[in-house]
Amino acid sequence: MKTQNFYMRRIHPLVFMAVVTIICILLTASLHLSTFDRVKNNEQFFLRRSILDAAAIEHDGQPGTVATLYQDSVTETNGVYQVKGSDGTMRYVSQLTGPGLWGPITIMVGFAEDHKTLTGVSIVSQNETPGLGARIEEPWFTRQFVGKQGPFRRVEEGTADSPEEMDGITGATRTSESFKNIMNRAITESATKSGGQ
Amino acid sequence: MAAGMKKKTFLAPLGKDNPVFVQILGICSTLAVTNKLENTMVMVLGVMFTIALSSWTLSLVRKWIPSRIRMMVETMVIATYVIIVDISLKAFYPEMWKQLGPYVGLIITNCIVMGRVEAFALQNKPTLSLIDGLASGMGYGYVLLSIAFVRELLGTGSLWGFKILGSWWTNWSIMVMPPGGFFMLAIFIWIVHESFLKKGKEEEHA
Repeated sequence: MKTQNFYMRRIHPLVFMAVVTIICILLTASLHLSTFDRVKNNEQFFLRRSILDAAAIEHDGQPGTVATLYQDSVTETNGVYQVKGSDGTMRYVSQLTGPGLWGPITIMVGFAEDHKTLTGVSIVSQNETPGLGARIEEPWFTRQFVGKQGPFRRVEEGTADSPEEMDGITGATRTSESFKNIMNRAITESATKSGGQ
Repeated sequence: MAAGMKKKTFLAPLGKDNPVFVQILGICSTLAVTNKLENTMVMVLGVMFTIALSSWTLSLVRKWIPSRIRMMVETMVIATYVIIVDISLKAFYPEMWKQLGPYVGLIITNCIVMGRVEAFALQNKPTLSLIDGLASGMGYGYVLLSIAFVRELLGTGSLWGFKILGSWWTNWSIMVMPPGGFFMLAIFIWIVHESFLKKGKEEEHA
């Protein structure tokens, strides 16, 4: 009677918990493994798409076309993606991470052959406030850098009219300011890299 | 089991026992994810799935769970379902997962899930627990969606990402920021209590 009591009070809960844990882990682990390739493909697709976007290569957003375009026109050396445009000119795309308001913002920045003129910017990952800071993902915001050389100065939303001015986002001053800093760092880094060559 | 019992279990969380505006549970997610309808919808579906299935599962094994460790078992089962939601979104709806990744994990900490398991599933049969979980999720869902509707419309002039109000509309930025969530939730609870719940209470007291 006493030993059975000891078992029910001390051992049984441990055994029960262990069994539940093992079942739960088996379930989640098998789901993770069975979707592993799919998840990897998705990640690769997002990365390739953001490189093509930053290099201003037109695509229809379908995984198939993105993969073909990427294989045809992109070569990677030391973290710099060299992208051959349809007109034969080269674009240089690199990834850059900087602090945002809530977490790091990672972007792809593309430069033309002169390493100064921006061909495009795309967001790889960000964690800003939905509806405010997260609007850096909206096309009007990223497209404003195309063809400009910076360095940029932040002005109020919708008032940028010279090539050095960047439209901020109303209600997301700190995200806009952080984004401007990342952009300016990208511009300086690109200039030093090309100067050293 | 009488059909009346099932109906009662289903209707209670939608009205007089609503998890959000009567039990005041799950408030953190109500405030956090209601600034865009799209995010809210995914959160609501995730919560419905998690509550319904974890209530059902735990109700199935309720007689064998040692009472001293029941909370650990509950958390384990809830977390498993949340991870299933997270991995499925990641694999099959990657665009959506990219936007909502951080929110999905938050379902684990939603007190409605554990609240329903503790208060209902451990005392009732699996089918009834499943109905209770589903209805609790729906009761939670329609409150969140109505708050998100107002916040997105006033805060960004759009609904589900589409512009509804023209350029004459000045966005109320406060609506998409945390204070907007507090104001809207308080106003919602106030309206519901004043116009629907007060009458019921007076009858009870009389």
